[in-house]
Amino acid sequence: MPVTKILTAGIGEVDERGIDAYRANGGYEQWKRAVTQMTPAELLEISEKSGLRGRGGAGFPTGKKWSFLPNNDSPRYLVCNCDEAEPGTFKDHMLLENKPHLILEGMLLGAYGIKSNHAFIYIRGEFKAGYEIFTQALAQARAAGMVGKNIFGTGYDLEVTVQRGAGAYICGEETGLLNSLEGKRGEPRLKPPFPAIAGLYGMPTVVNNVETLAYLVPVLQKGWEWFAAVGTERSKGYKIVSVSGHVQKPGNYEIPLGTTVREIIEIAGGLRPGRTFAAVQPGGGSSACIFDEHLDWPYDYESMSKAGSMLGSGAFVVFDDTTDFVKAAYNLIRFFAHESCGQCTPCREGGHWLEKVLHRFVQGRGLPGDMEMLLRVSSSITGLNLCALGDSIEPFLKSVLVRFPDRFEARVQGRQVAGVR
Amino acid sequence: MSDNAADSINLTIDGVALSVPKGTLLVEAAKRVRQEIPVYCYHPKLGPAGLCRVCLVEIEGMPKLQIACNTPVAEGMVVRTSSQRAADGRATILELLLVNHPLDCPICDKGGECDLQDYAMAYARGTSDVADPKTSKPKGVNLGPTIVLDEERCVVCQRCVRFDDIIAGERQLVVKDRGVRDMIATATGDPYRHNFTGNVTEICPVGALTSKTYRFKSRPWDLRRVETSCTQCAVGCRQFVDTRFGTALRTMSVESDDAVSDGWLCDRGRYNIGFYASPNRLTQPLYRDGGGFVQIGWDDAFAIWAKAIKEAVSTRGPASAGVIGGGRLTNEEAYLLQYVFRKAGVRNLDWRAGRQRQAAPGKHGAASYGALDGAQAIVVAGESAAQRAPVMDLRVRKAVLRNGATLIRIAPIERRPVVPCVDVAGAAEAVAAIPQGAARVAVVWDGVDLGLAADLVRALEGRDATFWIASEQGNARGAEAMGMLPGFAPGYAALAGAECGFGTDEMLAAARNGELASLSIFGANPALHHAGGRAVREALQRVTFLAVSDLFLTDTAKLATLVLPATAAFEKTGTTIDIAGDVLPVEQSLDAPDGALSDLEMLVGLGQQLDFDLPTAEELAALVIASAASVPAHLVPGDPRFASSVTALEPVRREGAWRVFPESHIFAGDGTVANDDRLSGLRPLPQVAMSPQSAARLGASSGDYVDLDGGDATLHDLLVEVRPGIADDVVVVTGGLSDDAANVLPAGAYAKAINLRAGADRAAAVAGSGA
Repeated sequence: MPVTKILTAGIGEVDERGIDAYRANGGYEQWKRAVTQMTPAELLEISEKSGLRGRGGAGFPTGKKWSFLPNNDSPRYLVCNCDEAEPGTFKDHMLLENKPHLILEGMLLGAYGIKSNHAFIYIRGEFKAGYEIFTQALAQARAAGMVGKNIFGTGYDLEVTVQRGAGAYICGEETGLLNSLEGKRGEPRLKPPFPAIAGLYGMPTVVNNVETLAYLVPVLQKGWEWFAAVGTERSKGYKIVSVSGHVQKPGNYEIPLGTTVREIIEIAGGLRPGRTFAAVQPGGGSSACIFDEHLDWPYDYESMSKAGSMLGSGAFVVFDDTTDFVKAAYNLIRFFAHESCGQCTPCREGGHWLEKVLHRFVQGRGLPGDMEMLLRVSSSITGLNLCALGDSIEPFLKSVLVRFPDRFEARVQGRQVAGVR
Repeated sequence: MSDNAADSINLTIDGVALSVPKGTLLVEAAKRVRQEIPVYCYHPKLGPAGLCRVCLVEIEGMPKLQIACNTPVAEGMVVRTSSQRAADGRATILELLLVNHPLDCPICDKGGECDLQDYAMAYARGTSDVADPKTSKPKGVNLGPTIVLDEERCVVCQRCVRFDDIIAGERQLVVKDRGVRDMIATATGDPYRHNFTGNVTEICPVGALTSKTYRFKSRPWDLRRVETSCTQCAVGCRQFVDTRFGTALRTMSVESDDAVSDGWLCDRGRYNIGFYASPNRLTQPLYRDGGGFVQIGWDDAFAIWAKAIKEAVSTRGPASAGVIGGGRLTNEEAYLLQYVFRKAGVRNLDWRAGRQRQAAPGKHGAASYGALDGAQAIVVAGESAAQRAPVMDLRVRKAVLRNGATLIRIAPIERRPVVPCVDVAGAAEAVAAIPQGAARVAVVWDGVDLGLAADLVRALEGRDATFWIASEQGNARGAEAMGMLPGFAPGYAALAGAECGFGTDEMLAAARNGELASLSIFGANPALHHAGGRAVREALQRVTFLAVSDLFLTDTAKLATLVLPATAAFEKTGTTIDIAGDVLPVEQSLDAPDGALSDLEMLVGLGQQLDFDLPTAEELAALVIASAASVPAHLVPGDPRFASSVTALEPVRREGAWRVFPESHIFAGDGTVANDDRLSGLRPLPQVAMSPQSAARLGASSGDYVDLDGGDATLHDLLVEVRPGIADDVVVVTGGLSDDAANVLPAGAYAKAINLRAGADRAAAVAGSGA
């Protein structure tokens, strides 16, 4: 089984929350090497060559994202997105509580790579323990001279600010996060301008996911070639997959990209005895389900996209034959409708409307024509929204409605069929 | 193509090729080929927000539909606004907007002029798949003294929220909660209240925000619309007056009026129209008979009035007759006013009835209001434009908020503005506070302290400095230009010797000594607004024959021998001159009440009674234009010729006392506001503002009550406001209130606080802690 332990190394075995334990395993050496021996341009080049892509959901090449910043002296910021809230994703939460120094070192490297003197981490409000652990780690790192003025005597200053969210999914969207970080209402911003040009406080900004930044540390330690050697053609390196649902051993598993869907299910202990496979939602709540025919497909960005879904944040939710897909769809749409910030029409009104209709289905009160309407409305709102939240409403619903129409048909009023769930 | 080829972009919209300047947004470019792209959240003055998503268009080469409001034109772009895909996208948005919309059009005030109604008819499918109940939200929410919110109708375009932020800078309105539960509200939960609230009812594309004064009053197709200039203050905003059955039901801004109002109205200009139909309007001349008034006819009124003027001039000399007013009249009326009275031998003429001394900045004037937006530093000398010329104050905010100007206040007595500012002590410090490189300086002056203005002119010598005089009266500048000044004929032609009579202060001083036999006052209320306080009332009482033309029985009119019922701006036609010096048209939208005459008609009647040859309407129009056009280049702000020569009305010095200054309030005054009962919730409370140090010395807190003993007069029951930033030897009282005593003290009077009482909250707290 291709399970690898890089970021997840030592979790559950060694307590790396203290700076001494972290440094005993080589912690902050890459930070020291970068600041004392490398230029930001070299760091950017390594990041580009490694093929590291954003692990938060969009999969955008990290080095490329950094390179969009204007090449001038204006203040710029690195923001670490630790607002992990995508349904089914729980990897950042684990890293935050177990590897705070690894995250911090990744943030420092990222900030140095974009020539920033101020990095921020935005931590989901519910991660209270993680927040306290990280805050303590930051204090230790500051005391050890890793953060602050004149780091390692190089004259380079880097400040780090920790900010807690207040429990809104939309604040994980990068511009919603920036607004929230500025103390404003957590609403995504109209783009352009993109954060690389006008982000936090109107300055050039890079927002990177926790896992993305954390991978910078081993990439620097082992070389970009090590990272780029693993994976598929355009999906390089490793990924932490949060496997949940109908498997025997749900949890976070770090795998090389390109591992097959079937292998991932097996890594997580396989299905429960007597159950048969129905579907996987491979990239978080925003992704469409994939089915039997995709079981031997490689789990990478391109293949998941080709399968009609996405790799997303690596939340891998397995559904077996006992699943009530009507309820599952209702549950997910209710989530999106509840979390919609409400500023743009399709997401605000569309999500809520679909939620109401699906609620009727759950109660066995679907109406003739409703299934077509669900497909029509969810499809027509896709692509019209200001941010990606509204476009997240359709994929799961459509994939299961098209695949399992009988489950929905059975909930149309007067058509209940005995035995069909 | 007149556009510079390098800066213009060629594109095609719906098959029509066009060339527009670089940076133009598609939604604007489409207007050039007369292609309407529907919008809710986009507004030309607010910019794109990208929220409603109704402005979807198809752009060749782009996989997704794009929003026209945030897409700038690009070379070679091929845009389709009405393709099937664009139409489908648009129809989807409209379908979604109607999912929870109550469709209560039959009882909605916006019906007939609603963008949701119009676009739904034009672009939506016409059928609905919605089978579920609509979401219920609060209706008839009392958002503040002016506005009612219907949350169910709201499409969350956030225009109101963005207006409050971007244009007004007040930032009171926010969106609360999220998703389909979101709600427009004030951030603090306090009533939505500032000087520009009414604008949100106009930019609201649906019937969510409606004016209390217009709710359930009419349908747009039943209204008769006239475009005119607002005369409530000296800004002169273009406005539509909508009337029905001879009653003015509402006023609306003119969106294209970039030159003057920038497309906005203040709440005074918008809402203070109820007085036209007030039962308190004067509709018959009143003649004093012993202690009271008797109603008389106009023929008798003219005869009595003419006789009094003639007798005064012939028996006691020209110095014994005078006329005050013109600042609330049209240019034509003001011209005829000085014409008739000068012809009658009267030499004491003055428009000034309050504290202001000068209305035109002369050679330091600017060509247009746009110059104020572009100022890099703005110096406020005296009272700001906030209460006196609110819409001009919006330009000050615009300069600061959006163009980065520095705002500098000299010895302020007002609350801090909503935009950042620097407070300094005097003219020299103000000029020193102007940042390096700020070449264009604007001075917003209240026209009161001539010395301060002169100091500023000197200190700003050699700079590109413009002066903006926010007058107390709507047409002060017009009255001045028409020759309603002691030393000037129309067009600021200087007069000398016997031609040059008294100004208002000298007239009042003479009156106090019993030397004024005849005084006529037009559309002015010196008893309330003049700096002299109680002494002014005493002076007016000693005038042998006092004629007052006004709409209502004001504090001044109550002292009159002859009261002449006048008409107001909506009831007449003419012109005015605004702060920037432009001549603006005033158009009639209402019939005058029976029995009232316009000041023009009164002056014609008086002139005929005196057997004068009067100019014809055409001649008068030409004289007005000639007088208005002559730029008073020999005048400077603070010109000593505007100074008063009397000290008789000045306050008596008292040791250990504060100096009391009145401040303007947009909804003060005892005429048009006091007689508009729809505005009672907007009237200011009589209050006294003091610095934190003064309050500490007195032991007072905000919310307490105090009396101010000014020696020969006392102001009672003033609500204390602790106001940081004002001097410790000054207190500020609400000016322009008739039914309290605030105006019996002269401006700058010395007063002491007596009778401090804890306010209700504090009293309760004290009682609670004792128990």
